[in-house]
Amino acid sequence: MANADPKQYVGLATRSKEGPRLATGQGRYTDDFTEPGMLQAVFLRSPHAHARILGVDAQAALSRPDVFAVVTPEDMKRDTKPFRPGRYAAGLKKPVEEYAGAVDKVRYVGEPVGAVAARDRSTAEDVLESITVDYDILPANTDVHQAMAGEDASLIYEELGANLAWQGTLEYGDTEKAFREADRVVRENLKIHRYSSTPLEPLACIASFDRFSKKLTVRTNTQVPENIYDALRDALSLDDIRVIIPDIGGGFGQKIHLIRKYVVIVALLAIKSGRPVKWIEDRNEHMMAAGHACEQHFDVEAAVKNDGTVTGLRFKEIDDVGGSVSTLTIHFTNKLNNLSNTYKVQNIRADGYSVVTNRCPVIPNRGIGKPGMCYIWERIIDRVAQDLDMDPSEVRFQNLVQPEQMPYTTPNGNVYDSGDYPGLLKRALEKVDYPGLKDEQAREREKGRYLGIGVVIGVEPGGRNAARDMAIFPEMKETPGSGGINGATIKLEKNGTIALYLGSPNCGQAHETTTAQVAAGILGVSPDVISTTTPFDSDIAPWGVAAANSGNNFHLYDIGSIIGAATQLREKVLKVAGHILDAQPSDLEIADGVVTVPGFPRRKLTFAELGKVAYNNQALLPEGIDAGLQTTFYYTFPHAQPNMVPGKDGRVRAQFTFGAGAHVAVVQVDPRTGKVEVLRYLIVGDNGTIINPDVVDGQIYGSAAHGIAVALGEGFVYDDEGQLLTITLTDYGKCSTAETPAIEVEHAPSPSAFTPLGQKAAGEGAAIPSPAAIASAVENALEPFGVKVRDLPLTPERVWQLIKEAQA
Amino acid sequence: MIPGAFDYHAPASLEEALSLLSANLDDAKVLAGGQSLLPLMKLRLAKPEVIIDIGGLDELNYIREDGDHIAIGALATYTDVAESELILSRCPLLAQTAVVVGDVQVRNRGTVGGGLAHADPAEDLPAAILALDAELKATGPDGERWIPASDFFIMMLTTSLMPEELLTEIRVPARDGYKSSYQKVSRQAAGFAIVGVAVCLKESAEGVCEDISIAVTGMTDVAFRAEKVETALRGQKLEDGAIASAAALVTEGIDPIEDVNATPAYRAHLAQVYVERTIQAARAR
Repeated sequence: MANADPKQYVGLATRSKEGPRLATGQGRYTDDFTEPGMLQAVFLRSPHAHARILGVDAQAALSRPDVFAVVTPEDMKRDTKPFRPGRYAAGLKKPVEEYAGAVDKVRYVGEPVGAVAARDRSTAEDVLESITVDYDILPANTDVHQAMAGEDASLIYEELGANLAWQGTLEYGDTEKAFREADRVVRENLKIHRYSSTPLEPLACIASFDRFSKKLTVRTNTQVPENIYDALRDALSLDDIRVIIPDIGGGFGQKIHLIRKYVVIVALLAIKSGRPVKWIEDRNEHMMAAGHACEQHFDVEAAVKNDGTVTGLRFKEIDDVGGSVSTLTIHFTNKLNNLSNTYKVQNIRADGYSVVTNRCPVIPNRGIGKPGMCYIWERIIDRVAQDLDMDPSEVRFQNLVQPEQMPYTTPNGNVYDSGDYPGLLKRALEKVDYPGLKDEQAREREKGRYLGIGVVIGVEPGGRNAARDMAIFPEMKETPGSGGINGATIKLEKNGTIALYLGSPNCGQAHETTTAQVAAGILGVSPDVISTTTPFDSDIAPWGVAAANSGNNFHLYDIGSIIGAATQLREKVLKVAGHILDAQPSDLEIADGVVTVPGFPRRKLTFAELGKVAYNNQALLPEGIDAGLQTTFYYTFPHAQPNMVPGKDGRVRAQFTFGAGAHVAVVQVDPRTGKVEVLRYLIVGDNGTIINPDVVDGQIYGSAAHGIAVALGEGFVYDDEGQLLTITLTDYGKCSTAETPAIEVEHAPSPSAFTPLGQKAAGEGAAIPSPAAIASAVENALEPFGVKVRDLPLTPERVWQLIKEAQA
Repeated sequence: MIPGAFDYHAPASLEEALSLLSANLDDAKVLAGGQSLLPLMKLRLAKPEVIIDIGGLDELNYIREDGDHIAIGALATYTDVAESELILSRCPLLAQTAVVVGDVQVRNRGTVGGGLAHADPAEDLPAAILALDAELKATGPDGERWIPASDFFIMMLTTSLMPEELLTEIRVPARDGYKSSYQKVSRQAAGFAIVGVAVCLKESAEGVCEDISIAVTGMTDVAFRAEKVETALRGQKLEDGAIASAAALVTEGIDPIEDVNATPAYRAHLAQVYVERTIQAARAR
């Protein structure tokens, strides 16, 4: 086709479309909307970690004239149905019914037990205090080992007969042989704690119900419209549902899963009261009950040759999944996404144990199990280096997949599309002058100043394949979906401007800016005349099952569907214009929204003129061409085979594109206080073809800052009774800008061989290796004290203790 | 996160504020900058039925020189104190402390009188007030009285102010010729002090400690003077070893609090390290 160049604006930091609006406080979030007669809802939540609900008395609340609806466990049972068990719970021996709210028991502090809709928020909060719940308090299981301990532990789900709710194994290659033939076996126990991404905007929802048409409209800040849509259909048996998603104040996975509980209950309040109902979650509620990343315990062993080659990896993983089974295996199966990280190892075995506890349920969170998998690899590689007295970077070079092996199929069936891992690592070491840095470290140690260098590498998977979970659930009879599908619609307006409708909402990926850049090159217009329609509205937007804005999907599915829809629109534009201009469509050119016949300067047609024809003037349309200039395209990843659906060997493409990053952390540890200061943080990253460097850098800064903060202290702390002690951002230890080091980024892209622009993911990559980088650097700094870093987080007190323990 | 209902009064004068307070002794809270009270009300940990908003009383908003003293109105904000030329030149410890309270918004809105009267155990300013031997003016229906800083903080969230009294002024002696520093450990830059140490000292040309006062906040339910450390150093040459061994005395007889931020053992250790470091930081100024 003539002069369509999808890459015309790719790689340029074009003017941000949503940035000025969001940065100046002009974003329109769920809480910014009101509806006539709207009520305000608050949730009644469990003060106990584990208790049976004997009864709820809401009479006092219901008798007030300013209270319009109350939902109790009785209402929940009568008026709603349990959610369908999702793909993460497919391995349960017996199905467990999970309603939107607690019905018989509460299993974590903050679990919703009921809700009130009142005239205003203050009234609703007053009324909450008048509702009495009769609880039979049960012993709390707040620790995985305690919860697993057998008969003495009280059962969180009686129907499961044990708190170890699931157990399964993934095995690829011949690990027994690898360990039998190893020169040495290196072992370590590791742990990652509970944390969250703490988006600045907590969960939010406005539900309204038209009792005549039975149409339910919810305005909510979910990342995944389909989850809300399905949950409302399942729980409330409704068919006509509209999901509107305004601006979202951060997602990171926090707004994918548990949000459905609240939307269902708020919708029920709207149905019962006959009024629109708004609910805005508090920070404390968000910390207690909106979902945490999983606490993961790992027993790791590596089969190693004396030259540093790792020939096998085995690990046992115990996951504290909290008081729900709906995300039972998510952190374990996500290990499939980067199971072999950047390494050539062919033999891997993972034994997973999912334990329910009386803590907040776990949810998808920036990389889900992937930071844990990278932590396993990068910590054990450091141990191998120590064991063999090699430099840790040498052991990595020894084991990296080589660029000439690309595309490279991993033992579990992932296909790495492109990449130069040794190149990334080499460049990162050059940039920090690694030998010089080591000399400086040695000199400073003499003076009592403890510098540490952490060098790690990790892949960043992108794309989505729900069939992945069949690898651990061979009993699953049909796939829970497979691959990823996402739609986009493009409309050439009558005035010649372009409107995009995306199948996914924007939660920080700069949809509006980035999609316009890509569509502009194809359509031959300036990105300035393209607007992405917000808010997302399921009544008009195409569906997108991959539209999760999770799993790093935007680059693949949204961009793919935009390219498809724009290409089809261009074809139609050329056909209509060719007919009017009496030229072959293939001879035409488009620039700045004007179609021209090269060599004939007067034969031209603007997009506005075309719009007039397409929507107004049947006589000018070519025969056989429908009126209108609007196209919809549903994208699927064309290279999803082989291994889209796991066979008997369990091999599966867990994700489809693979970026990578080499990270170097330079820290200084104050051995007296345990305080760690990050002096330098460098990432040399491969994010494939970069569409907008400002946007990608923003993604990297944010995810690196989060991973570093996770390693250095942010996290949830429970007491023995299952009370959460960290319900504010202060107590949780959220790092502020002042604590966040400058993140240096150098791009070394290897364009993907499988995607239209060569693009790869960028949203969660830096959060995957960064906890390991910090752990490595702190351990390296404290080498003279003999400190080994196994567990995160490395709060100053923890580091101080590690030094004391090592010296004892 | 919405406070319960309350009656709101914005008195036009100190006199009116005092009579409102006397009329509502059991159920009133005084609102100044609101940086401590409002979060508690939003969490419904505080549910006052009456709010007396003294934020508009300009008569309590001043910083002025009074001979060898500096008088600070209770409604001066942390920012006012941190940026006052007078305080920076004659009593810099107050400014050094005020400038690390909370974040910019808290410092712009929060008042020194409000913060001191709230008596949060992790508040920074009590350490400086104690180290400076400040006096606090309580004004009640029967007139004024002066309370030495050492008698002001009774226990967590409790001061020696009577229910019908307002804290109206803080009076600190000028410390010409002294060196000072406030250093704190907090998880975030804007965080409360896990341990905060204020030091004000005077040393001779030979490095002999002529006078020193040290106060510690965040450690126990009220800030305290580290008298044993002071005694050990007064008249001594301020050498590293002497400072370190004196600093170790800070935890003698002290039972540090435990919370999610630190165990008692770590708090005690931090207090020793930070007393030492704050003395060194003061000397380096």
